[in-house]
Amino acid sequence: MNEQRKDILDMLAEGKISAEEAEQLIAALERDQPTAAPGPDARPKGKAKYLRVVVDAIEDDEPTRVNVRVPLQLLRAGVRLAALIPPQALGKANAELMKSGVPLDLTQLKPEQLEALVEHLDEMTVEVDQPDARVRVFCE
Amino acid sequence: MPQSLTVRVRRPDGRPIRIWVPVLPVVLVFLPVVVLAVLVGAVACLVYHVSVVRALATGWRLVAALPGTRFDLEQGRTAVLVSIR
Repeated sequence: MNEQRKDILDMLAEGKISAEEAEQLIAALERDQPTAAPGPDARPKGKAKYLRVVVDAIEDDEPTRVNVRVPLQLLRAGVRLAALIPPQALGKANAELMKSGVPLDLTQLKPEQLEALVEHLDEMTVEVDQPDARVRVFCE
Repeated sequence: MPQSLTVRVRRPDGRPIRIWVPVLPVVLVFLPVVVLAVLVGAVACLVYHVSVVRALATGWRLVAALPGTRFDLEQGRTAVLVSIR
């Protein structure tokens, strides 16, 4: 649900407008925005700015929607933060990962590699479709 | 740097709660706590042999990158929106 539609429903809930007025406003909104919410295919070409995670699911017979938008700049900053982790902490993390059956050596992960990973995220799209849930991860 | 934090909650009965937090005034009010937290962070950096300047720069970069972050959850008639601008 987009911001404007939510505002209309809020005004209706607050009793500021009648149900008919809300219906007219929503219809006008739909006329102005004939296209659906932007998905991975609808993204215009260019530098992506955000990582989006959209989950549509049915939980307890109620539709559930999770919509997360994270600026890619924040991911880049997070990568730089990861580079500050002291080596002894990485050693401990490696040992725990090994114990859990993940033989990943975090000390071999260089910040430049992680930055390159974030840089190429805009070319990535993940879609998981299940009968009762749909997950989309993409950049826009 | 983030300018405002908006939290919107729509309760199951349909009544909305809106909270708008202007970041800068709140930071100014809590400045003593912020300074204390930075000092504690600096000491932790020294203990763990991490460059304080680099840590501060990275922390600032992280805060500066927050605008545009948005978390939106809807379940039935309940909804929560957290938006940083």
